[in-house]
Amino acid sequence: MKRCLVFLDGQALQDSIDLLEVARQIYPAQAYESTGITFGSETGPAEGAFDTIIQVRDDRIPSFDPMAVTEVLVELHQLRSFDTILVPATPFGRMVAPRLAMRLKTGLVADVTAISHEGGHLQAIRPAYSGRIMAAIEFVGEGPVMMSIRPGVFHWDRLAEKKTQTELFTPAQARTGTIRQLAVQAKEQTYDIRESDVLVSGGGGMIGHFHELERLAHCLGGQVSASRKIVDNGLAPRSIQVGQSGKTVSPTLYLALGINGAVQHVEGLKQVKHIISVNLDKNAPICSLSDLVVEGDAVTFIDKLVAKIKQQTSP
Amino acid sequence: MKLICLVKFVPDVDSYQVDFANNALIREKARLQLNPDDVCAVAFALRVKTTHPDTTIEVVTMAPSVVTPHLADLLRIGVDLATLISDRVFAGSDTYATATILARYLATRDFDVILTGTHAIDGDTSHIPAQLGALLDLNQMSGIVRIDENLFGKAVAVFDVETDDEHVTYEMKLPAILSLTRDCPYKLPYASRKDMARDVSANLRVITSQDLSFPADEAGTMGSKTRVARTFNREYDKRGQLVVQADEAGIDRVYQFLKEKGLITR
Repeated sequence: MKRCLVFLDGQALQDSIDLLEVARQIYPAQAYESTGITFGSETGPAEGAFDTIIQVRDDRIPSFDPMAVTEVLVELHQLRSFDTILVPATPFGRMVAPRLAMRLKTGLVADVTAISHEGGHLQAIRPAYSGRIMAAIEFVGEGPVMMSIRPGVFHWDRLAEKKTQTELFTPAQARTGTIRQLAVQAKEQTYDIRESDVLVSGGGGMIGHFHELERLAHCLGGQVSASRKIVDNGLAPRSIQVGQSGKTVSPTLYLALGINGAVQHVEGLKQVKHIISVNLDKNAPICSLSDLVVEGDAVTFIDKLVAKIKQQTSP
Repeated sequence: MKLICLVKFVPDVDSYQVDFANNALIREKARLQLNPDDVCAVAFALRVKTTHPDTTIEVVTMAPSVVTPHLADLLRIGVDLATLISDRVFAGSDTYATATILARYLATRDFDVILTGTHAIDGDTSHIPAQLGALLDLNQMSGIVRIDENLFGKAVAVFDVETDDEHVTYEMKLPAILSLTRDCPYKLPYASRKDMARDVSANLRVITSQDLSFPADEAGTMGSKTRVARTFNREYDKRGQLVVQADEAGIDRVYQFLKEKGLITR
């Protein structure tokens, strides 16, 4: 039986559990055993999802220390020889996965967005060349298959509850003492665009007018998101960026204003029910993915649509 | 202090072209630039040097020789040594092979800190800094938005990392690998007219596989643990694409659409 280890990032537990869907796609016709590992955090909904959950509760191992955490994973792998190791591509996961892959002398594919099988070979799919093109990557060599998985892309359907066996693991060695956390400050609570039902999103065409989106988002009970161009120009925080280098979103309505729709952006749209794009160029790539294309100026569009909604809904 | 900045020159994303017929990157047409996150790493190092003149900065990159003029530019603004790790046999290396080559060189150097970027805008795997951490047995932290210059010394570094939800301050023992993001406030200085004309070739050196005694079969595709099997254009679900204008009739159509789909409820 194949063995699959999933790293459960306490900061993104649901995204980590969703990696079970990746395991299912890697082993479509094979029995496999799933093991989740947590450092200090509660197992919560992971309970009932995995065959085994390993908890590391060791004062020597801070859950924020990439070196200490990696060494525990190395020790665990030496004891249990996993066939596959999956890590969510969260900020912490992205530090641990490469470190672990190097310690295990195995290959790693980053930020995977799909799994395929070709001619008996497992392929991990991810955007390449700044998201201009997709690449199917195969693993060479003996080591375990390792991937970091883009959060928000795979969704695991909880069809049946498993009888999860929980184990406490105390590593024999600890590689610690190189990092201390001095202060943690929660950021001002902004919204999570991954949870929004309606997103009003601005791209390069909205530079200079990005703030105008707020009016329309408010009117539609939605939130504002942005493309890489807007974020790189310092007009919006990275937390609301949609795309390969931002977040993957699945709203009911995605209103794309002044967005060209390069692959790297469109990669961030998954199971979006409706797309309306507003663009001066009706042949922009985003338009072919849209239900409705409005050819014209985005600010005019906002003015007119907001006025229309207000007029129709005022008592 | 001895600082090493590990950098990458990347194609400017907006000038970037892909030959879709052959699934290849048109490299000749791609304008190169210093990766935005790496700009912050070099800029921070130069700031440290301004306040602590005994600081030395070495920039290290693995690339084809086309990046030489870009390395010379960094020497002109205050970097002391630029090392180009370059060899035909290195071409085609995945991150595993690349990190192994870089680590072979870095292990020969005496340093207090390795500064890098967090993400590169072309590959965007963020593998190399963490993989080097494993190979050099150093801790490593990504996503750094500020390093405390006053506390930046031989023994420790104090720095801030930002995620979506938190702003966290850490203290890390040195030597270590610190990976900055473009959200740092550090900017590169401009070269003076005098510096622009300066001959910096003496401080620019090339390191080959021979210099590192690096076996050819451990570099390039032979030394890689992953292999690109194919590249392809992604097919997205095409939709209705009803085109309207941003005029009264068009807005009516959009309003109607939103109403039909239950997106305007009142």
